[in-house]
Amino acid sequence: MDSSQTVREGLIPLLPRLRRLARALAGPTADADDLVQVVLERTLSRAAQWRPDAALDKWVFAIARNVWRDEWRARSRSQQLFAPEEVGATVADGSHTQLAQRLELAEAMATLLPDHREVVALVLVEGMSYSEAANLLEVPVGTVTSRLARARAILQTQLGRDT
Amino acid sequence: MNPIDDETLQAYVDGELDAAGVARIAAALAHDDVLAQRVRQARALREQVRAAFDPILDEPIPARLSALLQPGTPPVATVAAPRAVAASRRISGATRHRPARRWLMPSAALAASVALLAFGLWWQSGNDLVRVQAGQSFAAGDLSAALDQALASEPRPGSATVIGLSFRAVDGHVCRTFVHRPKPTIAGLACHNANGWSLPVLSTAVEPAGGELRQAASALPPEVQAAVDARLRGDVFDAQQERAARDAGWH
Repeated sequence: MDSSQTVREGLIPLLPRLRRLARALAGPTADADDLVQVVLERTLSRAAQWRPDAALDKWVFAIARNVWRDEWRARSRSQQLFAPEEVGATVADGSHTQLAQRLELAEAMATLLPDHREVVALVLVEGMSYSEAANLLEVPVGTVTSRLARARAILQTQLGRDT
Repeated sequence: MNPIDDETLQAYVDGELDAAGVARIAAALAHDDVLAQRVRQARALREQVRAAFDPILDEPIPARLSALLQPGTPPVATVAAPRAVAASRRISGATRHRPARRWLMPSAALAASVALLAFGLWWQSGNDLVRVQAGQSFAAGDLSAALDQALASEPRPGSATVIGLSFRAVDGHVCRTFVHRPKPTIAGLACHNANGWSLPVLSTAVEPAGGELRQAASALPPEVQAAVDARLRGDVFDAQQERAARDAGWH
């Protein structure tokens, strides 16, 4: 079996996690799936570079992060203008708590800088350890730690918890 | 004892502390209510992030993504990101004449956020068209009745809900797009399951009602089209299939 086929087959079970990561990085549905598509195409085109002793998920997530970081954000920069103030006031009714929290969190994530959003995506959403995230981002573990602490503080402020 | 700084506290919550560090926090927690509150906050945030993104793991994979990984698919060339995606979509979607250029609009993602947001706002306005069950939204009231009964092939003048496409989704459920006007003006996708018409996507980004609602299908907001894309394999129902599906109770 050549590496291309190995990678192709290995990607199939990773698709749900890749979509989740893309959503955390890029935002809402349509845009995030476009990102996934580009990442899949990029990954397949580079399949020959994949070493079977490397974890495929870490490799494809690194590609996803780089595509998002280097190419994607330029396209969707206009998203940053979108930060409706009303959201914090919506859906206070307790029976809709779950929905309300998801709305609030999506809005709060959208306000994070790329450095912050990617550590949240890798550690809190994907569940990587600090050292795994540091490897992927090619920064020291201390940088991951400080960015994550900063991101958390911003999210908690946005979510009105830091009173 | 030194105060516990934020980075240490988050390392504790994330399971990144060594045994000595854990012991130190555990000892401090026993008599420090403020610290305990900070730990609770950090845990709650962690849970909220997971709760917001983990449901994506259970969503159906869009056909255009899984198709890329099918064996025998010719190797793809590396593409310049967004435009090539739109181009490949245009090809795959050509038979349905959907307005592919919408995908190039930078506002597509924005509109999807608006949809979520509007949904939240709309919810609060006390409508009775949507109910929430186990964290999922379902059609209720007039909307549910219209989804049960209305046929795209026989539009009913004066009806608030207009049906667009009906089709069988990749997971086997029957799904229908709809536009509801005028108040609240929403569009969305409804998929029939044992609990009723679930609503995986709703949007208020609906174009003004020019020329009646005949073009309900083509005028769907991008995020609704994306939801259709994610579920559609094969063709949408024709009038006969639509009627047959209704007669079969949408199963």
